[in-house]
Amino acid sequence: MFYQPKNVPEALGLKAELKERGVFIAGGTDIVVLMNHGKAAPENFIDLTHIPELRAIHRHNGTMEMAGNVTHAQAGKLPIRCLAQAALSVGGPGIRELGTLAGNLATASPAGDGSTALLALDAEVELTSVRGTRRLPLEKFFLGYRKTALAPDEMITKIIVPTNYKTDWAKNGKRGAMNISIVAAAVAITPKNEARIALASVAPVPIRCHKAERFLAENGLNGDSIRQATEIVRGEIKPITDHRASADYKIHLSGVMVRRLLENLVKS
Amino acid sequence: MKKAAKAKPTGLWPLRFTLNGKKVSTKVRPTQTLLDFLRIEMGLTGTKGACLEGECGSCYVLVDGKPMNSCLMLAPQVQDRNVTTIEGFAHNKKLDVIQQKFVECGAVQCGYCTPGMLMAAKALLDRNPNPSREDVVEAIGGNICRCTGYEPIINAVLDAARSDSRRRA
Repeated sequence: MFYQPKNVPEALGLKAELKERGVFIAGGTDIVVLMNHGKAAPENFIDLTHIPELRAIHRHNGTMEMAGNVTHAQAGKLPIRCLAQAALSVGGPGIRELGTLAGNLATASPAGDGSTALLALDAEVELTSVRGTRRLPLEKFFLGYRKTALAPDEMITKIIVPTNYKTDWAKNGKRGAMNISIVAAAVAITPKNEARIALASVAPVPIRCHKAERFLAENGLNGDSIRQATEIVRGEIKPITDHRASADYKIHLSGVMVRRLLENLVKS
Repeated sequence: MKKAAKAKPTGLWPLRFTLNGKKVSTKVRPTQTLLDFLRIEMGLTGTKGACLEGECGSCYVLVDGKPMNSCLMLAPQVQDRNVTTIEGFAHNKKLDVIQQKFVECGAVQCGYCTPGMLMAAKALLDRNPNPSREDVVEAIGGNICRCTGYEPIINAVLDAARSDSRRRA
């Protein structure tokens, strides 16, 4: 069946009934590709594109709350640098109008551009089902390669990020547009002057580099500590060699990207 | 509460939307992509399909004025929306100024990418009547052209922005 609910409770009711047999569709930028290539034929669709409340963005007490269906085009206009930059690097304009932040998280691609930015921002996700609502730090949401903490009856209803971090973001790929990253990196400095470092395409899921972050918390943010933290980052990641680049290259590149991003952020 | 509208994947979905300014009320197979629906059911073959994964932009249509890859949308998702395809561009057999500039600048070679390029260009110019060269490059970033090398296309979009007829329109 194809369902087109008009509000969140209706969508959750359907998902509770159908569980794994019901697939949420918003941008379709993953599921319809699989269908077009004959690799998926879902039995039931729950279309989320006609639920206006899922497109809302609210600011509130130093946080930004983005509803699940906020698109990459919408996120690209937000005053949160790392998130806007990441969003604008996704696909072309057409893909950005379709694809959503929550969809990017639910797909849990190791190369999720948006995920790095959200990880560096200490984002929380709000997961809702007919049973109720819970909040998880994004890091706890990613369980493994394309595996998430979403229960079969749950939906990502909100993504919550702080508005007072200084952030930056970068990606390296083989061409300037329409690119899957070789490495994507996001960094942030919190109001307490703590660094956050997140990387994608270097592990089965987008990750935070906690060892390097702890080192910087203990040694302060300066040229020397950043260079040493870069080496820690290189030890903390486990990229694979694939058609995009070798593991060694990705390890080297990650260090360079994190160092440049942090140095610029500290200077700014 | 009114129950969600629904249809079997094999059954038919009652689709109402606006297509090139005309109200359409029809029935669609809900798992059919918007691209296939437009081409096969509506007979509007101006919109092209190539990669079917959102890489090439040949399937761009405008939905409520925004460029979208019709190969990645299911037809029922345009319920109550306003869809424009290349067939909705010319007015009374007179080419839209962007089309005219594509002709004048030699921005069309094999032509396969052209409808998608025109969608991207129109979405840009409707939002930003005075784009920079970088704005144009960004706007067509999701559209692949294998013939022109892009330069004539970029020039055509910039010429269209500068043209008087577009300013007056």
